[in-house]
Amino acid sequence: MELELSLSPPYQKTPSIINKSFHGGDDDRCSSTVTRFPRVSWNQDEDDDNNKRFFNGEYQQDMDGDGEGLIGWPPLHSWRKRFMEENHSGGEGFNGRVDEEGENINVMNNNYNELLFVKVKMDGVGIARKIDLNAIHSYQMLTSTLIHMFHKYVENDEDGASYKLMYQHKDGHWLLAGDIPWEMFIQTVQRIQMVRK
Amino acid sequence: MVYSLPEEVLEHVFSFITLDKDRNAVSLVCKSWYEIERWCRRRIFVGNCYAVSPSIMTRRFPEVRSVELKGKPHFADFNLVPEGWGGFACPWISEMSRAYPWLEEIRLKRMVVTDESLELISTSFKNFKVLVLSSCEGFSTDGLAAIAANCRNLRKLDLRESEVMDLSGHWLSHFPNTCTSLESLNIACLGSEVSFSALERLVGRSPNLKILRLNRAVPLEKLSTLLCRAPQLVELGTGAYSSGIRSDVYSSLSKAFLGCKELKGLSGFWDVDPSYLLAFYSVCSRLTSLNLSYATIRSPDITKVISQCPNLQRLWVLDHVEDSGLNAVALSCKDLRELRVFPSDPYIADANVTLTEQGLVSVSEGCPKLQSVLYFCRQMSNSALITIARNRPNLICFRLCVIEPRAPDYLTLEPLDVGFGAIVEHCKELRRLSLSGLLTDRVFEYIGRHAKRLEMLSIAFAGNSDLGLHHVLSGCDGLRKLEIRDCPFGDKALLANVAKLETMRSLWMSSCAVSYGACKFLSQKMPMLNVEVIDENGSLDSRFDSCPVEKLYIYRTVAGPRSDMPGYIRTIDRDRVNTIS
Repeated sequence: MELELSLSPPYQKTPSIINKSFHGGDDDRCSSTVTRFPRVSWNQDEDDDNNKRFFNGEYQQDMDGDGEGLIGWPPLHSWRKRFMEENHSGGEGFNGRVDEEGENINVMNNNYNELLFVKVKMDGVGIARKIDLNAIHSYQMLTSTLIHMFHKYVENDEDGASYKLMYQHKDGHWLLAGDIPWEMFIQTVQRIQMVRK
Repeated sequence: MVYSLPEEVLEHVFSFITLDKDRNAVSLVCKSWYEIERWCRRRIFVGNCYAVSPSIMTRRFPEVRSVELKGKPHFADFNLVPEGWGGFACPWISEMSRAYPWLEEIRLKRMVVTDESLELISTSFKNFKVLVLSSCEGFSTDGLAAIAANCRNLRKLDLRESEVMDLSGHWLSHFPNTCTSLESLNIACLGSEVSFSALERLVGRSPNLKILRLNRAVPLEKLSTLLCRAPQLVELGTGAYSSGIRSDVYSSLSKAFLGCKELKGLSGFWDVDPSYLLAFYSVCSRLTSLNLSYATIRSPDITKVISQCPNLQRLWVLDHVEDSGLNAVALSCKDLRELRVFPSDPYIADANVTLTEQGLVSVSEGCPKLQSVLYFCRQMSNSALITIARNRPNLICFRLCVIEPRAPDYLTLEPLDVGFGAIVEHCKELRRLSLSGLLTDRVFEYIGRHAKRLEMLSIAFAGNSDLGLHHVLSGCDGLRKLEIRDCPFGDKALLANVAKLETMRSLWMSSCAVSYGACKFLSQKMPMLNVEVIDENGSLDSRFDSCPVEKLYIYRTVAGPRSDMPGYIRTIDRDRVNTIS
């Protein structure tokens, strides 16, 4: 099917002369050639090829960190998704809890979030805060939570780039946060410190 | 000779006009009507908090009592919108605290709310009554404590599906003993225990409490205590629905439920022990709303419950309900308006439950009032969709998710174009549609041709070319929100339909094939649009025009480009585009 389409909108608020050729190729910066946009005749195959090149070649589908596949698919509210993850992680004794017979306690019976408070201190700030790591599910969320908490002290630094996140391992050492998977991190973290670089 | 009615009369007449659409029309009649209307508008709904600025709102409407705002794009629910994107409630709350001392209601959806903002709300509005935070984040139980402590006339506190930093369960104790106005409390999203004694006392002194949704941490053995204190409840969300303590939990629970003569809605049901399900049988015949979507119970148990509920209008359930359970729904629930079936195990390829397209077909046959469907399943066929469409032309909302992306009709291996085509052709009042399965440009041709009332469309892993998107943009006259992920839609359709974008609230495209250059062009051509490009992986400055953008969010606005974006988002700045050489 061929479709003839005009690329200029039906009304003209600005002069019809457009200063850019948008299929620019390598000279991406705004070329000063004055181009009147041609009426585009829709050639479907050509279109397909262009789009496929973007779509398959240069692109990777977003892969979820924990190997589930696509991000955001199937489309379930993150809250519901978390509930499902909690229900399914019970098998490997995620909570590490056992009863007298050494059996893993069925997570189904005791599945609500336990509190996992750790102290967080920021360099230069007198008062420490506490956060519940069980309510946080990723390093990204940890960072943005900490930014919110300490926003009075972080200047124009939306992403906290001038601080690094250190944590105290349960064996006492201080390590840089982010190297190990989140699930392992919350099992070993004792406290957190935001250290100025 | 022009005479007009006195202002007071007009104002009185306008007070009967409640829909925003109608109010907007009234304000366009003439200058004096505009003036009168703006002074007496009491409710404001802002579907995109960046479409307008807080000061524009307060300047035009000085006497507002209720504000509803929405922030992040819908796909944020599925983690497709990166952290720090925006949707900050703070500037709105600051401005409202200055301009609306008599504000009574704030409803926020998908916004970032801080404890400071909650504190400001609690101290700024003397007559504050309703706070709804839907899918919000950024606040802790400290902020809730401020609300509890300071809002003397609080009627509704609803935290649905928000992410709350749980610092302490004692925030509930901050409700003063004098607070007896509570009508609705939803704390289902809270992870940790709240102080039960405080909860019990609060419930006990709130004679108008109609809606109570507990969190999972409230144990079943305490539920009957609460029910006995609030027999007037209309909607209840239980906590965990199982108990290690045997004894008389069951009998006291059924007695308590017997006492709740007004109960019409039930939800919660985490960790269900089926042996306790019978406890609320006395309520079943009156139930209009039942949410079992967190209850991992099996089909026979679900079927038993559902068969007792002939007046059900809304049913949310896991796919454990299976086709057999849905057959029971079709037989028993003749008043059903809304059905949602969620997947219990979405990440494994094979189904471990017998829920197929047949279940939905049965319900579409048996339930004449069915209007709204959300259905997750693993197989679908065109013939099933055609049957559903013919059975239920009164559908208003149809969201189907075939779990495997691009899954074809399992019987014929063809795309599901014809099936969805039948849906839009027969269901002339369809307002919301979500597509899935294998789909070509053809389905969009059907949609563009038939779906004239469609307001919201969600597309994933579908289409072949720009023609698909063009059909939608040029055909769907009522389209307001369009969200697309992982489709081979590029520049052409967008650029051929620029004017359309200004008639819509927003367009989201991620993992498609739109180029950076097209975004720049669009931004230049359309000053009333914010064209926001999201790129978490690279530097936006070094983008070539031909590069595809990762994620794109376009929305109409009268507030200009926003200034609160993180580094990986850029509004294509029209001026910059013109001066770079």
